[in-house]
Amino acid sequence: MAQPQSSLAADLLPIHALIEAEQKSFIESEDARKRAGYFCAYTPPEILNAAGLRHARLFKAGTPEIVSAGERYTQSVFCDFSKSCIGSFDQEDGDPFYKSVDKLYTFHTCASMKRASEVIEQFVPTTLLNLPRLRGEAASRAFFREEIVHYKNDVAELAGRTVTDGDVSAQIVLYNKIRRLLRQFSDLRKRPSPPLNGLDFLELVRGFYYLPPETLLSTYQPLYEKLARVPDDGARPVRLMISGSIMADGDRRLVDLIEREIGARVVVEDHCTGLKPFAHTLREDGDPFAALADGYLDQAPCARMKPLEDSLDFSTGLAEEYGVDGVIYVYLKFCACYGVSKLEFLDRLQSRGIPVLELSSDYSVSDIGQIKTRVEAFLEVLEGRREDIAPLLADAGQPVHG
Amino acid sequence: MKITDIIDQAACTFAPAGPVAGFDIGSRGSKGVLLTPDSIYTVFIPTGLYMQETADELLARLLKAAKLRRRDIGFVVGTGYGRISLAYKDLPYQVVTEITCHAAGAHALNPRTRTIIDIGGQDSKAIKVDPATGKVLEFVMNDKCAAGTGRFLEKAAVLLGLELDQLGTVALEADEPAVISSQCVVFAESEMISLRARGERHKDGAARANIAAGIHFASARRVKSLLGRVGTEPDLVFTGGVANNPGMRHALETLIGARFVPSPIDMIYAGALGAAVHAGRHHAAAVKAGTARPPAAAPRKRAATAERKPALAEIS
Repeated sequence: MAQPQSSLAADLLPIHALIEAEQKSFIESEDARKRAGYFCAYTPPEILNAAGLRHARLFKAGTPEIVSAGERYTQSVFCDFSKSCIGSFDQEDGDPFYKSVDKLYTFHTCASMKRASEVIEQFVPTTLLNLPRLRGEAASRAFFREEIVHYKNDVAELAGRTVTDGDVSAQIVLYNKIRRLLRQFSDLRKRPSPPLNGLDFLELVRGFYYLPPETLLSTYQPLYEKLARVPDDGARPVRLMISGSIMADGDRRLVDLIEREIGARVVVEDHCTGLKPFAHTLREDGDPFAALADGYLDQAPCARMKPLEDSLDFSTGLAEEYGVDGVIYVYLKFCACYGVSKLEFLDRLQSRGIPVLELSSDYSVSDIGQIKTRVEAFLEVLEGRREDIAPLLADAGQPVHG
Repeated sequence: MKITDIIDQAACTFAPAGPVAGFDIGSRGSKGVLLTPDSIYTVFIPTGLYMQETADELLARLLKAAKLRRRDIGFVVGTGYGRISLAYKDLPYQVVTEITCHAAGAHALNPRTRTIIDIGGQDSKAIKVDPATGKVLEFVMNDKCAAGTGRFLEKAAVLLGLELDQLGTVALEADEPAVISSQCVVFAESEMISLRARGERHKDGAARANIAAGIHFASARRVKSLLGRVGTEPDLVFTGGVANNPGMRHALETLIGARFVPSPIDMIYAGALGAAVHAGRHHAAAVKAGTARPPAAAPRKRAATAERKPALAEIS
């Protein structure tokens, strides 16, 4: 079970409680519904929900213990996330949530995650699906549509029922509503004084991956309306975007450090566990499988997709749209997607005059002091820039009395 | 020492309105700088187990040297890895990262500084500085390992049976630096052990010099890689404790193909000086806002003058 996140705003606590209850029920409930899990944001939950399965994205990680459990099966050059995915399925030291999964579906993105799925096959039935890299090609789309049909048939078999085109279309409409709602939440962060912080938004996204969509809509809608009415409190926190590789459910130390210790704000995420997967809405008419294939290939791309140019455009566009003061580009050590393309991201952001801090991280705890120094120094640089931009505010640097 | 002994009066933009202090609590050593309107005092002690005690010891020594009392201090800034544990009940203070402080310190001594290499006990950094303001434009720090840091050199000195302060000098005697390829201190240590085992007895001195030089070049390669993003625009300045190591200076200058600008003070104090410069700025802002601690009987005539017309406005 995830640690209670006391750092959440009070308004988010009921949602946190719902997520925890849902996970408990996923593990303990003795209903006949099968449990499906998936790793990657390229796996359409529309199909799982259309089949009436219990389903969740499996992205819990962040502790060194689970990493060690996974290290039995890998070389050191796997990232800590892929090691955690394996470790969580380990029969002895794994996570009960993972162990209650009846079947794993994974549209694999990188070689580490593909290999992780192959190791996990010994613990749980697994269907590995192909995700084309060349997102612009017509052939990729036709092929991906076939993969999604194959995925649908596999899911229907697991659920023991048929899944019609109409079922899938209805789910596309439902999930689009949620995507729009999450974007609306995120839009609130474009205000100079955002009514929700980065930790809160990550919790909303976490809910997306655990809660049934109907539950989600009925609880998120009133919360959105409440937050939209929060008046500007006059605070003008330094605004940051986090870009880079996955920020697992349980990996909150960077955002905690930024928001709770230093007092800056994460106003937008260019990663697959923040705003990024919700930036695009799917076509709602016509062949639902073609709509899924196009929709998922057209979503904000992971750095493993080609051309990389698309990822760079999305990243800078998002930073500009949210008026960020700077970007923290953070990737897991050994990440073959975000680690290797870091220079392209750093160069592109800097060429647009956006300061960027590069951090490489893992789930050990030993580097927190160094990360803190880097982030603090980066914030000092950003505050210095603000002073240069608005010299009249320079006197705001009042001494702090002990 | 008088500030004018180390820097042209005309170039000096950092003299504070009243006494201020900067502490750089490092992983191995702790440095203190006390600035008065006309003088600079420095002190170095090994970092103790308790950071606050180390900082108190630094302050006590500085006050003694400057013949001042604790309540004369207008502002304190703490930096270095021990900065987090600094807290004062009786003094206004702030903590600032060592990256910002090294930039401020190097800029204070030489306003033309654009690139800094800082090598301390447990990390190394490359910093790009705005020469107009002394502010950091960009920085890169080493990964979480000891290669390319003072700690690595300490280990190497022990293995070669040398004192740390001899290591760099011995390295300069090398005729053919040994090839040490490992980027990891543990593996480099094994490489050193096998190199040492190969050294013939009568050539011991030369072998030692060559290994020492190899160690410096291995470290310097690591540090040079940090400059990739920051660049090497002159003036190039070397700060931190390892700046005193002539072997490292030589290895870096050879690999980078540029020379470090000589510094008027021991650059182990760059971070603490930068912290003191920040303290002076905060003190000036407080004086301007009328929130400064009541001056404990202005100790010198010049201080009173400076308080009316803070010389610090130009550096912010």
